[in-house]
Amino acid sequence: MALQTQQVHGGGTRFRHTPVGVMGNVLGWMLLCFAVLLVLTPVAFMFIASFMPARDILKLPFSWWPQTWYFENFWHAIQGNDGRFIFPRALLNSVFVAGTIAVTTVLLSTMAGYGLTKLRFRGAGIVFMFILSTLMIPFETVMIPLYVVVTNLGLQNSYAGLIVPFLLSAFGVFLMRQSLLSFPDELLDAARIDGASEPGIFFRVVLPNMWPVMAVLAILTFEAQWDNLIWPLLVVQSSELKTMPLYVVTFMEEKSTNEGAMVAVAAISSIPMLIIFFTLSQYFLRGANVFSAGKE
Amino acid sequence: MARSAKRLTVGARKALWGWAFVVPALAFFGLFAFYPIINALVLSLHSKNVLSLRPPRFVGFQNYVDLWNSAQFWNSWKATGLFTVSTAVPLVLVSLLLATLIVSRLRLQRFFQMALYTPAVIPGVVAAAIWLMLLDPRGIANQWVNFVLGVSGIDRKWLASPDMVRLSTVLVYFWGKLGFFTIIFIAGLGGIPTSVKEAARVDGATGFQLYRYITLPLLKPTTLLVSIMAMIFCMRTFSTQYLFTQSGAPREPINVVTLGIYTTAIRDYQIGLASAMSIVLLVVMFVLAFLQFRASRTQDG
Repeated sequence: MALQTQQVHGGGTRFRHTPVGVMGNVLGWMLLCFAVLLVLTPVAFMFIASFMPARDILKLPFSWWPQTWYFENFWHAIQGNDGRFIFPRALLNSVFVAGTIAVTTVLLSTMAGYGLTKLRFRGAGIVFMFILSTLMIPFETVMIPLYVVVTNLGLQNSYAGLIVPFLLSAFGVFLMRQSLLSFPDELLDAARIDGASEPGIFFRVVLPNMWPVMAVLAILTFEAQWDNLIWPLLVVQSSELKTMPLYVVTFMEEKSTNEGAMVAVAAISSIPMLIIFFTLSQYFLRGANVFSAGKE
Repeated sequence: MARSAKRLTVGARKALWGWAFVVPALAFFGLFAFYPIINALVLSLHSKNVLSLRPPRFVGFQNYVDLWNSAQFWNSWKATGLFTVSTAVPLVLVSLLLATLIVSRLRLQRFFQMALYTPAVIPGVVAAAIWLMLLDPRGIANQWVNFVLGVSGIDRKWLASPDMVRLSTVLVYFWGKLGFFTIIFIAGLGGIPTSVKEAARVDGATGFQLYRYITLPLLKPTTLLVSIMAMIFCMRTFSTQYLFTQSGAPREPINVVTLGIYTTAIRDYQIGLASAMSIVLLVVMFVLAFLQFRASRTQDG
């Protein structure tokens, strides 16, 4: 799969000098700037409002700059309404759960993809179809039966219960298989001639060469889990195990939550992913491309 | 072990290792994807209350009959259907427009992509929480809509009137997913060979003709992919509606199927009925994806 950055050159440049072309061009810029402005408004609101006392946040008209910078919201947010500091714990839980899932998904998907492409065995085609067919099963349709399975395994209300159903994804196997199809066999055979074992080849030859695709898969997986509300909502009851999305919901429902603390919780919860996005943006943009590449 | 392994041919040894690499994945998907689906099928034919210790009682297709006769179930499909159509269609059209505009820029392509993608990295629950404030009677949404319409002090009841609550959930979701689909379209547009466009241009095609008769037809696979994905994403929506109802918005207009499954299983403890609802959702999504896939095939002749 080609993973170059996308500087796409579209049509229309030839007509730039006709009056209609110039007008169209200006209109295009205006539309895009307007769209960006609208799209970024809620994000800007969140960060600006988090520095305002609650009574200023829902006030008409909203002032787009705080009169005085007010930091109490963040302290309130981190402490929680009961002063038990559950929120930082929830953030760490989310990092731990999403991080573990990202690592296992990448590792196990690459393993399966490698086995399916480069160590051809009879039945590999059927195995791949089997895995691919689960790609068509949306999580929401299996969540209740899955909840029954996890409860029967005694994993409810535990980290294992949060992690185990997502150890691996059909999409991951599919992505890694497609990417490994073009992996040069000569490299593998050379390692074999040098006497490397199959696991050795996998860890020392395959993994180091696949990291760009693996990084994309890791980021996509982490992002999806960071955002997962429905599963923790089903399996977790104790407040120590709550992940960030679940905590946000609980915090919102609490009576003593005010708008200031709420918006601060929202801002803090958004920051980790925003930082990752701005430092690794090319992987995110490629990540979306992966879906369109998958169709061929 | 070592001795017997040596006796195997190179091909057989590779095949054995192939199995070894694939077995973890097979076991996982068996236990956490296929078994639950089978289990759901079986459970959907039983009456099972989570709280009672009694084993599930076989009731045949009673759960499905109950669903068919349940006004609430039909209502949740109406909610999901309305949400899916009114979100997916604008999503596809607007993201296509934005992608086309971005691709025809000579500058700032990357800036626009990143800016539009930013909402996609904001967690869904956070997005819903922020929008709840924007849509508050004293919030920015009222302020801006009234400003555009040149009136003042009118409350649009974003979170109170049934139709407006629907619109509000659509807004939240549309906002969150727009950048994602825009980027897929940009990739699709980038995949159209320039030679085809050059040829049309030499033949005297104008910019609009070029777009209408060359770009759009060649973009069809991407458009199809985006519409199926948008539709399936929308049918799976949960957190926006969950947060809205939890914060006091009327439940009925936004009681989508996933929310219905969740409340049936967790609040009403009826696992059998919830399983039947899950199976119906699965079948509907399969059928829709299949129909759309076939429609694309037949059109190509």
